[in-house]
Amino acid sequence: MLLGAAEQGLLYGLMALGVYLSFRVLAFPDLSVDGTFPLGAAVAGMLILRGVNPFLAALAGGGAGLLAGALTGILATRLRIPGLLAGVLTMIMLYSLNLRIMGRPNLSLLGKPSVLSGLAQVLSVPRGYGTLVASGIFCTASAVLLLLFLHTELGGAMRASGQNPDLVRTLGVNPHNLQILGLSISNGLVAFSGALVSQYSGFADVGMGVGTIVAGLASVIVGEILLRPRSLLGAILAVVMGSVVYRLAISVALRYGAALGFTASDLRLLTALVVLGALAAPALRAALKGESP
Amino acid sequence: MILEVLKVTKTFVLGAERLVALDGLDLCLAEGDFATVIGSNGAGKTTLLNVTAGTYRPDRGKVRLAGRDVTHWPAHRRAHLIGRVFQDPLQGTAAHMTVAENLALAAKKGRRGLSPLLSARRRRTLAETVAGLGMGLDQRLSEKVAYLSGGERQALTVLMATMTKPKLLLLDEHTAALDPANAEKVLAVTEKLVAEHRITTLMVTHRMDQALQVGNRLIMMHKGRIVLDLDAEKKRGLKVEDLVELFRRVGVCDDALLLGQGLAVG
Repeated sequence: MLLGAAEQGLLYGLMALGVYLSFRVLAFPDLSVDGTFPLGAAVAGMLILRGVNPFLAALAGGGAGLLAGALTGILATRLRIPGLLAGVLTMIMLYSLNLRIMGRPNLSLLGKPSVLSGLAQVLSVPRGYGTLVASGIFCTASAVLLLLFLHTELGGAMRASGQNPDLVRTLGVNPHNLQILGLSISNGLVAFSGALVSQYSGFADVGMGVGTIVAGLASVIVGEILLRPRSLLGAILAVVMGSVVYRLAISVALRYGAALGFTASDLRLLTALVVLGALAAPALRAALKGESP
Repeated sequence: MILEVLKVTKTFVLGAERLVALDGLDLCLAEGDFATVIGSNGAGKTTLLNVTAGTYRPDRGKVRLAGRDVTHWPAHRRAHLIGRVFQDPLQGTAAHMTVAENLALAAKKGRRGLSPLLSARRRRTLAETVAGLGMGLDQRLSEKVAYLSGGERQALTVLMATMTKPKLLLLDEHTAALDPANAEKVLAVTEKLVAEHRITTLMVTHRMDQALQVGNRLIMMHKGRIVLDLDAEKKRGLKVEDLVELFRRVGVCDDALLLGQGLAVG
């Protein structure tokens, strides 16, 4: 159970990094991830079924996510559609698009080559730990690249644009372009994560993206509560750690929750309550101290 | 001429009401001019800055910067020629980035490649630059700007706005949100940096004493027009009372303005 949670935590960790980029860095709650997660799985799944190398297929899935994220960014900036609505529109469009890409609601990838087992074989990792090591490599590589990017001139400008768009404008940069690029990278990560998860679980499903944003936010918030990061490095570590802890909590809940009367279908309710509690904590704390909202 | 604002009109429509913020305003600033702008609320001071910076486009008229017609340039494009400091110290910096990162962003104005924002060498240069403020910020380069006081933050913003030596500096009541001691400090820093880089400056202020104390030109606005434009010679030796008298003579008698001075001066 621990092993499975760690594997999943690392694979979904890429998705959580994407959500961190949009939600925390850009201050943009982006709901399109519910559509880009299965988009990555759908594109990669179709390519694998046509005999494409699973790594290239996952990259192509991520590429599709980049484009979808840019679409949300363009809707929210150039067309001035409120951010939440822009994300919802992209998500709904992708639902139909994902069905069209797959041609049916569900693709089975069982028995097909997977980049996770492939990588484990190449590295000749001891049996049983192959998936964990491969997941760790993907997650670490993405985290390192994201961290390096956020420390570049462009990445620095992007961080500033989430905190203070006026400042970025006075520095001669159009904050809209930074937002489009940021959402693009964010959804690229999410779709890449979706592609890897589908190879891990052996199927791509049009419904696999429901609740992605909530799971991503839960990972980001759980990580922040556990690590209380002060630097970017800490923040990124916290996201990955939050994702692993979140998946662990889910597998514990699925295993022992039945004794308390919970079923698997209650999972999303519980996740949403965790996120709700964490987001409401500052207001609740203030209310307890007697400050008015 | 560094700045030419030519016959600029800007009207805002608020429901059924039309508010003429700038009414065919003309203003030219020569290289090295440091003009202070005063006027009552609604005189159009901030709109003048916004039209100059490109936040708003004028309904009619032209804006020329360093000889180029920039009337239709968006704000971020003009930013290469303009430094700007707002009233709110929170508006000029990124709170959750460090002092060094904020300075590096300003130093790399407009450049946004994939090279590192902060190298060891850049850090040293920035430390030297910020040490010039004399506030000890060179020892706090790795601190987040959120932990700085309002005065420190605003001094940092002035430094960020001037370090790339823009053609024009716009100051929008940039000391108004600070306590008197900090306001004095930030104003001193501003004068020092403007003199050092010889930057043409347009400073909006609500305090007549400040408007008289700094700069080589004093402009009074009323109802979207310039009603008084004093050069350095006429400005010298003038007291707040003389200024109030001048206002009365040009027909501007605004209780709120005079009351405001009473509070600020007394």
